[in-house]
Amino acid sequence: MYVDPGTNQQAGNIRWILPYCKPDLPRVIGALLLFIANNAMALTIPIISGLIVDRVIVGGHTDELLKFCGLMIAMTVIRVGARYGYQMWMERFGQNSVYRLVSDEYEKLHELDFTYFNHTRTGDIMSRLTSDTDAIRHFLSWVSYQIADCVVMFIGALCVMFAIDWRLAIALACVTPFIFILTRGLSTHAHPLFFAIRNSLAALNSMVEENIEGNRVVKAFVREPYETKRFDEHNDDYMRRNMALAYNSRRYMPWLDGLGFSLQLITLGFGGFLVIKGYMTLGNLVSFNSFLWMIDGPVRASGWLINDWQRFNASCIKIRRLLTEKSRIVEKPDAEQAVADRAAASPAAHITGDIRFDHVSFSFPDDPATPILTDLDFHVPAGTKLGILGETGAGKSTLVSLISRFYDPTSGRVLIDGVDARDWPLATLRSQVCIVAQDTFLFSDTIRGNIGFGANRLENDGDGRPRTGSGDGADDEFIRRMAQIAGADGFIRSLPDGYGTIVGERGVGLSGGQKQRLSLARALADDPSILIMDDTTSAVDMETEAEIQRHLREMDGDKTIVTIAHRISSVKDSDLILVLERGRIVERGTHAELVAAHGRYWSIYSKQLGAQSGAAQGF
Amino acid sequence: MAQRNTFREDEELEETINLRDIARVGKYLKPYLPRVVRILAVVISMSCIVVSVPYLTKIMIDEAIPNKDLTKLGLLAGALACLIVLYELALRYRTVSITRVGQMMLKDMRRDLFTHIQTLPFSYFDSRPHGKILIRVVNYVNTLSDTLSSGLISVFADVFTFFVTLIVMFVIDWQLALWSLILFPVLILWVRVLQHFQRKAYQKLSNKQSNLNAFIHESIAGVKTTQTFAREKTQFMTFQQQQDDVRTAWMAAKHIEFLMWPGVQTISVMTISFIYFVGITGFGGVDVTTGMLIAFVGYANNFWNPVINIGNFYNQLVTCSAYLERIFETLDVVPEIEDRPGARDLPQIAGRVDFNDVVFRYEDGGRNILNLVDFHVEPGRTIALVGPTGAGKTTIVSLLSRFYDVSEGSVEIDGHDVRDVTLASLRRQMGVMLQDTFIFSGNVRENIRYGRLDATDEQIEAAARAVHAHEFIMELPDGYDTVVEERGSTLSAGQRQLIAFARVLLADPRILILDEATSNIDTRTEEALQAGLRHLLKGRTSFIIAHRLSTIENADEIFYIDHGRIVEHGSHAELLAARGAYWRLYESQYAAIRA
Repeated sequence: MYVDPGTNQQAGNIRWILPYCKPDLPRVIGALLLFIANNAMALTIPIISGLIVDRVIVGGHTDELLKFCGLMIAMTVIRVGARYGYQMWMERFGQNSVYRLVSDEYEKLHELDFTYFNHTRTGDIMSRLTSDTDAIRHFLSWVSYQIADCVVMFIGALCVMFAIDWRLAIALACVTPFIFILTRGLSTHAHPLFFAIRNSLAALNSMVEENIEGNRVVKAFVREPYETKRFDEHNDDYMRRNMALAYNSRRYMPWLDGLGFSLQLITLGFGGFLVIKGYMTLGNLVSFNSFLWMIDGPVRASGWLINDWQRFNASCIKIRRLLTEKSRIVEKPDAEQAVADRAAASPAAHITGDIRFDHVSFSFPDDPATPILTDLDFHVPAGTKLGILGETGAGKSTLVSLISRFYDPTSGRVLIDGVDARDWPLATLRSQVCIVAQDTFLFSDTIRGNIGFGANRLENDGDGRPRTGSGDGADDEFIRRMAQIAGADGFIRSLPDGYGTIVGERGVGLSGGQKQRLSLARALADDPSILIMDDTTSAVDMETEAEIQRHLREMDGDKTIVTIAHRISSVKDSDLILVLERGRIVERGTHAELVAAHGRYWSIYSKQLGAQSGAAQGF
Repeated sequence: MAQRNTFREDEELEETINLRDIARVGKYLKPYLPRVVRILAVVISMSCIVVSVPYLTKIMIDEAIPNKDLTKLGLLAGALACLIVLYELALRYRTVSITRVGQMMLKDMRRDLFTHIQTLPFSYFDSRPHGKILIRVVNYVNTLSDTLSSGLISVFADVFTFFVTLIVMFVIDWQLALWSLILFPVLILWVRVLQHFQRKAYQKLSNKQSNLNAFIHESIAGVKTTQTFAREKTQFMTFQQQQDDVRTAWMAAKHIEFLMWPGVQTISVMTISFIYFVGITGFGGVDVTTGMLIAFVGYANNFWNPVINIGNFYNQLVTCSAYLERIFETLDVVPEIEDRPGARDLPQIAGRVDFNDVVFRYEDGGRNILNLVDFHVEPGRTIALVGPTGAGKTTIVSLLSRFYDVSEGSVEIDGHDVRDVTLASLRRQMGVMLQDTFIFSGNVRENIRYGRLDATDEQIEAAARAVHAHEFIMELPDGYDTVVEERGSTLSAGQRQLIAFARVLLADPRILILDEATSNIDTRTEEALQAGLRHLLKGRTSFIIAHRLSTIENADEIFYIDHGRIVEHGSHAELLAARGAYWRLYESQYAAIRA
């Protein structure tokens, strides 16, 4: 994190963003100097123009013409150089600040827990990392100096005008309260509109995102027209929101613009009156008039800048909300130290794999009334195998999520190596516990890259070099071995590009069984102490499954393996088998014990065995 | 398999001419042409007002005030006030109508993109990160917003001003006017050269943005995987790398963009100096009076303003063309599977399926995925497809609903070649339940209703009961109204499959395809499910792909597929008796569970 999300939590958006800008503030000062240079030149060049008229044309000093022209061109070159310089610096400033901001967002995102992702749509998070930050970038690198420009010009010009004629200047200054009232009104009304636009865009994003993700289902049900209809609703809504903003602008902008014009009217009308009455000279009125554009421009621009400012605010709110989101899973501040102390006491620096559930109950934080797991109590010594069997929705996946602390138990404790999971540093815990989830997510990358994703030992390219890089032979060898264990080597090699084959996002294009084997290989490459297979081989044919199980058995036996399955064949070799029903352990024991007990396990077993042996039970 | 793209690789664009893209934008502008013309008229009259204000000022300062003519001053002030009111009314109109035209164009463009994407084959979605598709429909289109509405219209006004000023200059003194155009070729050259680099820079930028977007998208979608492997640091480093690339490309693009104005401004000042020089020294036979010269310089200044604006617009257009290119490129992807010209609707079918010597490969000259598959299925029969993963089972059923087209041979349903009927009528009569169950965000009821949009709540419940999803749904906090999040992440895999099952049954298809649909369902549920399915399978032709033999042994016929061929076929008993591949598979499963 570049900036602690807790900083300036209560502060306004500008104060909040400031720490992100801080390292680049010297650049802003540099830009400011160039900005002044540019404005100074912009103001002097017309004076030279005037000199040419006065001295050369009217005064007849033709010999000075070249000098003046040269000066004018030279100043223009300085001016454009200065402008180019400050624009680039401000741009760089905006980019760098946003870079830090987005990095923090990204990091924060990875700290959040499953509950957050279960309830937040991808499109919405996407918006926060893309379009919202872009609004902030625009504000920092463009709107900021436009506002500064307007304010400086307005005040500066007004001062000069006071020096020329205070009566007329006061008359002009009378418009200031109106500007204030109008911009305030515009600002207040624009704020919710920008927020609505932003949310509408996020909804549109989510809708399209879901449509792309679910394209197979959309096609299978011929729901293209229905999807288009839904899209139209979002598309229309987004347009309506933008129009609402335009209507708001229509309400205020012409008045602001009219105020700009009225300055001219006041100058000529009232100024003319003053001149006629002899309170002011004509010359003064003319020079007064020539400064008018300096205060006229800012007044007209104020409306647009207010809109940009509110866009910035709307985006800030969303980003700040993400950054201050509380993860329910937080590391204890002294977790590293505590484990280091322990490591000093015992030689084993990593987790050995001993799992103990100490009267664990769990319910989801957003639905505390429904117990998911109730009073689970069991012990799995390091290096042994645990099998979990249970119906759909019995809480099996939740149970294993507690081991790698994706959730914390509502009551009771989960002990890993005798230490409460909440006391482990998250990174240590999760790098040692690996869940091969039901949902196999593969990255759009080569197969090699996907398997290597989890490999600690391949993490030598700490500078963030692409993981797919050609890789040395040893790594390729390692990855192939892992694929072999997972029963994936065969099909991978039959693919046109072998291990270099790029799989689509989420592994689309591969069959379910192939994806499952790849994700198993990925987990094996991570070499965890605790390997959790959550229905990992459900889509794999039984022959291959048996092969995978044999490979797993042959692997060195110090891994604790937790297997969730529906097939008896997957769990029957386990040292301990738990049968889960509605979040409770209803039976436990070894295969032999459970079969002998003639309980639920036995009935499932006999059904599956019966089915296999031809005595059909199903139909 | 199609060439795939990841977040690391830039997409290639071969197109070099961008005029065509810009012309295509015209297509989107066309429906709003009358509006645009109206706005243009308003904008031009606004420019006229802006131009006439200094004229009024001049009269006041030159005539009314020196003559101490208060009446005239009052009249002029009144005229000015009228002009201001007119101007502001015009501005009122302009503010809303420009936004409307712009937004409508963007809306049309987004809609075209979206509807087009609906027609694209799986391979399009499979071969690139989804974030890259998403950015086109939403973000890229939005970047066009300002350029296409306010930018386009003010550029028309600027062109108008440009020509008017030019004409006035020629009227004042044609020789001086010609001299003042002497640096114009330099300007054109400057703009052309910059444009060349700017275009490249923006192409690169849009590539990098697309990559970053894809990576962000994938990071969010895969965040659980990243957390599971505690790979946050590595991902973060890749992310920063990507961000860095974007920042570099951005700065490079801005660098060139910011060079445009200095060039134009310098040339403008040099021209004015030159006009002074020519006017004063009488160089090249120019002879002008002082008043004329001052007026001329004034106009020459006015002349450059629109040029700068047009230059800026050109800048924007170049920026946009990088995005337009992406958008049109997407629109130009030809759907591989399309209705044939003159395709008829498939009539209500009985469900007969014929595969006539079907050969299938993903691309010409590639490996045959299916090799002379030939079978004929009578209506109402249940066919089970078994065999090792990757043998081609899924491909067979994909050909049936025409997600791909056969390379050789034909697939016929009730004697109609699937390529001769409309896709919609074909797929409507098929129920496909895929390995990947996809749950939309919404409630459970809506998710089931996806199968038949006009289904009543009772029908939905009946379908859920039939597949034994009703029990677990009722146990959810709000029953059928329980909101499930994106991808159904709050449900277990088995529950998702049950919902997807109900969805298919609600659609009441004639041909039912279950592709490993029961793999995540526990034995008890599956058993119940099959009981419920028994009567539903009746009267439908069904294809079942499964690994669990319990699911398939009651099928009317079993096809054993290996290496893209049907190696064995027959009933469970026949195949067992044959002691072939199926028998070996059966034995191994039996052994696995009993041993």
